[in-house]
Amino acid sequence: MPTGEQVKARGYFTRTLEGRDVLFDDEGFLVNPEDWTEELAEALARSSGIAELTELHWRVLRFMRNYYVQNGRAPLNREIRTETGESIMEIERVFPGGIRGGARRLAGLPNPKSC
Amino acid sequence: MSRIPRIVYLDNAATSFPKPRAVLDEMMDTYSRLGVSPGRGSYDLAAECETYVYEVRRRVNDFFRGDRPERVVFFHNSTDALNTAILGLASPGSHVVSSRLEHNSVLRPLHHLRDRGLISFDLVPFDGRGFIDPDDVAKAIKPATSFVVLNHVSNVLGTIQPVSDVGRMCAEREVPFILDVSQSAGVVPIDMRTMQVSAVAFTGHKSLMGPTGIGGLVLRDGVDPKPLRFGGTGFESWSPVHPENYPYRLEAGTLNVLGIIGLNAGLRYVTQRGLGAIHEHEMSLVHALRDRITSLDAVLLYCAENLHNHVALLTCNIRDLDPDDFSAILDGDFNVATRSGLHCAPLVHEDLGTSPRGSVRFSFGPLNSLDDASAAANAVAAIAGLRSQ
Repeated sequence: MPTGEQVKARGYFTRTLEGRDVLFDDEGFLVNPEDWTEELAEALARSSGIAELTELHWRVLRFMRNYYVQNGRAPLNREIRTETGESIMEIERVFPGGIRGGARRLAGLPNPKSC
Repeated sequence: MSRIPRIVYLDNAATSFPKPRAVLDEMMDTYSRLGVSPGRGSYDLAAECETYVYEVRRRVNDFFRGDRPERVVFFHNSTDALNTAILGLASPGSHVVSSRLEHNSVLRPLHHLRDRGLISFDLVPFDGRGFIDPDDVAKAIKPATSFVVLNHVSNVLGTIQPVSDVGRMCAEREVPFILDVSQSAGVVPIDMRTMQVSAVAFTGHKSLMGPTGIGGLVLRDGVDPKPLRFGGTGFESWSPVHPENYPYRLEAGTLNVLGIIGLNAGLRYVTQRGLGAIHEHEMSLVHALRDRITSLDAVLLYCAENLHNHVALLTCNIRDLDPDDFSAILDGDFNVATRSGLHCAPLVHEDLGTSPRGSVRFSFGPLNSLDDASAAANAVAAIAGLRSQ
């Protein structure tokens, strides 16, 4: 759990979703991945323009989420493709924000390090 | 573990992969015979290992046309070598000239020194084609300038900078000129004497076809960075003071002998194949890719209209597609490995207008083929086609 100073310095912000305060980083990723619930994913989806998550959305989110919980890291690209049975391109298309800013964020995975 | 499909590896500007079989075989064979502490101890094998390491220094010195093998100093990589050169040559109150094309291996040491009030620096711009103007470097040099440090080839744009002109201007002003040859060594001939370069910082794991973890500095006579590390050298152990003579002055601790063997084998590979032949081969591939994707509406290419004075890397984006996602699609759907992001060169992307998300870089190596270029082009075309719909 980050300290108050870290929250301020890193540009974190709090949103009240599903009746509780949830901490996000400056790009809208959960700071504490354990805050994630399916209800939270639905709320995040609505605020990113998805009125209702489809079966494909859920297939991707549940796979990514379960993989993260079991392995402590995001799945590889080829694992996403193989295990969801959907192309990365199609997943990118159906999530506003794409894979990184959409699917990964809605699945409650940490903000990935970018070079 | 799922089976890993054959990948089209186009991230050679980061690390060349795979390595030539001859390099890997030589590493295994020589390390099996000589992998001891060079110069430590009085047994023959240690002396033989020291002799081997000296021969590699000689090969590196010849490759870059330095002054003498003793002034080839091994480090982990270019970043390590550049830190040593920059921190070792800077003195309080001094000024440094560099450019906005630089990698963080130059920018961060400079900022580190400036943030502590030790130095000031100026960064010259690059033009719309990705080249610096040597006159800008000359104009930026002041009486307090202690050195100029530049990238030979941009790791984002692939542009080969006019460093001979810069070298001449630095020599006329008696200002040392440090050249970062991370992206050029192994594809572009480097002659420190005719280019009037005071020091080159190189790494073994890119176009020199060696392993990760080995690189170094080649220092001309009269260029003497202050040592930043002190420790064992294998001689004069009675002295509490680190020796002043090269290469030991800047090398402390046991060397990466396996890396040095790999560097030696890589140098032999590129020398035997020929730098000109490697460059020509790689450029034929980057031309093939560029020519296929340049007309696609959704594709945004950077500084690639003219590939003269370039190495074989291409930087691009697809309109409205995050570079990380572009790279993930190339990887996950097409088995094409590329590098996305800012490429550790944030100012280049700032000036290209691609900050903060960066771009996707395709970089070819000597083991790539025209099939690889075609596979990449097909993948980009497929992605761009769907984005255009």
